[in-house]
Amino acid sequence: MLREMLNSEGVIMAPGAYDVWSARLVEKAGFKAIYMTGYGVSASVLGKPDIGLITMQEMAEMARNMANATSIPIIADADNGYGSSLNVIRTIQEYEQGGIAGIQLEDQIFPKRCGHMEGKQLVPMNEMVSKIKAAVYARRDPDTVIIARTDARAVISFEEALTRAQAYVEAGADVIFLEAPQSVEEVKKVAEIIKVPLLANMVENGKTPLFTVKELEEIGYKIAIYPATPLYTATKAIMDVLEVLKKEETNAACMDREVDFPTFNKMVGVPEMRNLEKSFLVE
Amino acid sequence: MAKGTVVAPFVYDGLQARMVEAAGFDAMYHTGWGNASSRGLPDVGLITLTEMTERIRILSSSADIPIISDADTGYGSYTNVIRTVREYEQAGAAALHIEDQVWPKRCGYMQGKQIIEKKEAANKIKAAVDARKSEKDLVIIARTDALAPLGWDAAEERARTYYEMGADMIFFDGIRTRQDVEEYYRRMSDIPCVFNNVPMIPLEEVEQYKFPLIIHPGMTFHSWKAMFDDLEALKKTGRSLYTDDYTTLFNKLTRVLGADYYFTLDEQYKNL
Repeated sequence: MLREMLNSEGVIMAPGAYDVWSARLVEKAGFKAIYMTGYGVSASVLGKPDIGLITMQEMAEMARNMANATSIPIIADADNGYGSSLNVIRTIQEYEQGGIAGIQLEDQIFPKRCGHMEGKQLVPMNEMVSKIKAAVYARRDPDTVIIARTDARAVISFEEALTRAQAYVEAGADVIFLEAPQSVEEVKKVAEIIKVPLLANMVENGKTPLFTVKELEEIGYKIAIYPATPLYTATKAIMDVLEVLKKEETNAACMDREVDFPTFNKMVGVPEMRNLEKSFLVE
Repeated sequence: MAKGTVVAPFVYDGLQARMVEAAGFDAMYHTGWGNASSRGLPDVGLITLTEMTERIRILSSSADIPIISDADTGYGSYTNVIRTVREYEQAGAAALHIEDQVWPKRCGYMQGKQIIEKKEAANKIKAAVDARKSEKDLVIIARTDALAPLGWDAAEERARTYYEMGADMIFFDGIRTRQDVEEYYRRMSDIPCVFNNVPMIPLEEVEQYKFPLIIHPGMTFHSWKAMFDDLEALKKTGRSLYTDDYTTLFNKLTRVLGADYYFTLDEQYKNL
């Protein structure tokens, strides 16, 4: 499905999900793809920053749970593959087995850091080339999309990032994600030079300007991820309601901020379960 | 842990933990090789921290004897080592060992091991020592894999550095022969050492070396061999090598697994 979408017209918008319920909400809102954000999963599962603490098993388990609960393609952050080419092979296979459509690998050392943090360190280009080749080797479904991310812009230079991106394309990457370009010119330059579908990371308060889908399409990007938008929104909403709860000492004061019980039950699928139950009842 | 030599057989699942306890051993050793093999994987650094802790939790709820667990290289760098120590403590490990290989590591007896810089390895031990919560009493064992790639002098120097950084015990992996054991003892007996009895030296012959902790793969090796042999026999001859009556084994297993305990509780609550 994702590969077909890459070959069709239009930008694929993939909001970020940090748990299964947020993934369901992305689908319910009518988007065509979900992005599983390691930044968000680290916060959700561990309550910790995106600094390479979360394990491949935890990410793969979340990915699998998201895939089981949704029916649109999921593009999943796989950090740096969690080790060497050997670990990349296992990562790709676990994610694929879990039902993930697109897997994103980056050229940072292990443990990695969030792409918009200071202090990132890269692996040598050839090491990442090996990892991409290993990923291509490891996939069992030819439609699984391998996304290669380079963090070189912040650590070395924009030119280095472009060089690496090209090398990763040659190694077999299906999509390129040049992390944290610092200007509109750089964003456009990537589209001029790299000839595979491109992924743009639209993250609030990051180093990259925020574009509309129309602008991205004009520039020549294929996928737009919004890794933090649901996470940041939920965080603010929860903080605000907890403040009200604390102040008013009753959640009656919170209800106008909430989805109501019948609505939530509908969203989470209670009517379908009831119908299933009925259909199995023997009179 | 007790004074004197502790012998800790290798385990990697709940049944093995129960068997080791029922047989009267004072401790058990959670083997990373065994954990990987139970997932159909070789011991080449593919297993994650959380797959190890999931198993430690199972071992911990299966038996009351202390668990000494493999912690490979700590699963990353300093921040990962901190997570490893805390998760292992919480999962119920009494001791863990962290080694100075690159990640992904290899089994200590494989060829081609690569060792990280001594300073980095020493700093990881310090991170581990600092990370532990003192009330949990976790024993931190610093393992060095330097013997095969770099030789005895390098391994000794590293081990002593790790001990100075605060490790409670040290552990040379890759001991193969009787001579190796003697050299290990000759060099390192002033520090508490772990001996991995892969060479399968009879314990009465190891006693003289006074290792405080011996981890022992005998049951693991024996059972793996039995599995290979039985499958081969079944395939070739149509007969399993197991010729006893199954009920004796079945009863022994259900006893070790605690069926009686559960049935008794069930009766107790039914009759309240």
